[in-house]
Amino acid sequence: MDLLPSEEQLELLSAASEFLTDQQPIRTLRDRAGQDCAVDRAQWAAGCDIGLLTLGLAEEYGGSGRPLDDEALLFRELGGQLAPGPYIAGALGARVAAACGDAQLAARIGSGEEWVGLAELRGDGEIGPDRVKGTFDLVDAADCDHLLLVTEEGAALLPPPAAEQVTRVEAIDPGTRLATTTLAATEPTHWVPAETERLADRALVLSAAMLAGLAEATSELATEHAATREQFGRPIGVNQAVKHACVDMAVRAEAAVSQALFASVSVSSARQDVRFQLLAAKSVAGRAAIDNAASCIQLHGGMGFTAEHDTHLYLKRAHVLDHLFAEPADVLAELLTQGAAQ
Amino acid sequence: MDLDFTEDQLDFRERVRTWLAENKPRDPRPDDPQGVREFDLAWQRTQWEGGWAGISWPAEYGGRGATLAEQLIWYEEYAAHGLPSIDACFVGQSHAGPTLITRASAEQKSFHLPRILRGEDIWCQGFSEPDAGSDLASLRTKAVVDGDELIVTGQKVWTSFAASADYQELLVRTDDSGTKHKGITWTVCDMHSPGIEVRPIRTMEGGAEFCEVFYDEVRIPLSNVVGGLGNGWSVAMSTLAFERGTAFTASQVHLARIVEDLIDYARDHVGPDRRRPAIADDEIARRLARARADVAALRAMTYVGICRSMQSDTPGPKGSMLKLHYADLHKDVSALAMEIVGPEALRRGADRHEQGWVGNYLHSFSSSIGGGTSEIQRNIIGDRVLGLPR
Repeated sequence: MDLLPSEEQLELLSAASEFLTDQQPIRTLRDRAGQDCAVDRAQWAAGCDIGLLTLGLAEEYGGSGRPLDDEALLFRELGGQLAPGPYIAGALGARVAAACGDAQLAARIGSGEEWVGLAELRGDGEIGPDRVKGTFDLVDAADCDHLLLVTEEGAALLPPPAAEQVTRVEAIDPGTRLATTTLAATEPTHWVPAETERLADRALVLSAAMLAGLAEATSELATEHAATREQFGRPIGVNQAVKHACVDMAVRAEAAVSQALFASVSVSSARQDVRFQLLAAKSVAGRAAIDNAASCIQLHGGMGFTAEHDTHLYLKRAHVLDHLFAEPADVLAELLTQGAAQ
Repeated sequence: MDLDFTEDQLDFRERVRTWLAENKPRDPRPDDPQGVREFDLAWQRTQWEGGWAGISWPAEYGGRGATLAEQLIWYEEYAAHGLPSIDACFVGQSHAGPTLITRASAEQKSFHLPRILRGEDIWCQGFSEPDAGSDLASLRTKAVVDGDELIVTGQKVWTSFAASADYQELLVRTDDSGTKHKGITWTVCDMHSPGIEVRPIRTMEGGAEFCEVFYDEVRIPLSNVVGGLGNGWSVAMSTLAFERGTAFTASQVHLARIVEDLIDYARDHVGPDRRRPAIADDEIARRLARARADVAALRAMTYVGICRSMQSDTPGPKGSMLKLHYADLHKDVSALAMEIVGPEALRRGADRHEQGWVGNYLHSFSSSIGGGTSEIQRNIIGDRVLGLPR
């Protein structure tokens, strides 16, 4: 049993982390506020070059063939750094192409040449091997080449709808591009049934990992502020009202990260209670990310309420991620139908 | 990363499971102090005879010398069999014993350690005082050296099992001229000594193992002092280095069981609308599901903590995070149970072990107080884990 990152994993993470801080610092979210895409195409390709989308993809499809816990650690980093762009859709989209034997498409997605945006069914609709229809939120899908749809039954890639069928919507998060579209029956170009590969499970791991990383980042941000911001001649962190709030954030982050990693290993080791562990991971990480971002704003006082400070960006991204791949209420309902943990 | 246990560890789990199933106590645990004493000592003797006593103790002191993974397995199985994680043998096994192992002389060890393991003695802890609770170092129970004896006068409080204990790990002040952490001495106190008076304190849940202890010129041989006069603070803290994250496993597994039992209860009992089962109520269902998720994460935290301990010999203060999170969850789940039980929760029988959800709820208040309040845990984590200024 081992739930700690290995030396090799730590090296890999520090490379990714360095790239993100250098190339996509949080201020780029503000710099690109008016642009169609939240991330610059050249920057995206540079991230793809260091394998951000293909860490877990088999080597024969141009990936690094690393286990899911490597990807969970990477996405925890992406979440903590508020990295803009459709990372989960890209990583899973390349996997869908690979599972369908479409090596060329997997390579084009993995290299950043073709983009995959995420489509989330809102309300009634249908997602199946033969057709997809309904009203969808499109998340970071501006200018994309494919849409990814993930359900319990399987995952699909589909051509994006024509521009005139898409209505842009202002997103809560300045780092996320949102639109809505209604699709009449459309046939997916690629379909991976859950029996072949459970992409929905991987989506839960990656989104939980991002949320957990975000919860960790706000915990660190708040603690740093409490240690350095002085009022009444002392750092505000000497006060228990502030110190204890920082501790509660750290505990929530530790719980969220631990469970996200536990869930990622549950998938690779095919535990019987894997679904239980995944749902628990998403629920714990979603609440930790939102609660911690909220506490972080409070602990920053007036600065926390400004647009200029980063704190609100974490809160807004947390809400976006919390609504991807599974609604919080659905996660809880399904978790309760599961048998007890193994 | 992996969650796999080795063949040896799986085999170990199988042996633990089989042994516990065959040997765990069958009779209900009595309620009176004398009955509890005999019951818990008998169970300790059974574990000793089976070769399981002192699971985390080194083999050279008669312990099992189990690896961290084996300790985890032992505690998981122990709790899964419904055995209590804290009983009258707890202080001897998990606090006084490890302190003796770390700091006592060869003579002190060879006398006490086998007696603890074999289930011959019960130990209690004499740390807190009426004016020294969270601020333990301000303790004032006075000990004066007189020849080869200490003469102890003062009072201790919150001493579980004092009425049935044979020995006590006792902190006394032998010098009050310096700073408060200096001048404290850790000594073994024979609870049968003249001048000791034990008064039971009834708890809010109806328990009677809690006591206050009065010392009126109690004579303790100087040879009972561990670690030397005036070094008691560091001796008392040495147990922290012994405990490496496994001891909380049983409580965590027990809490997971409580959540599962509560889900079953909510399926089988009518809910707030007086028609459908409680679990059909959306709010109750969501809170139960969140409890499931949170308890799962508590286990993941436990595993991560044990993995950290495997990598380094000194345990980090992150262990306090587990206790804090456990206490919050235990209280939340227990309060939720009261809501699910509804007006039935007003009916409280005479026997606290038959209390079910009500007894569990009342008991849960101790989890954020005993062993260091949650406020103190938050201070420790804030200062030592987060590095916040004091």
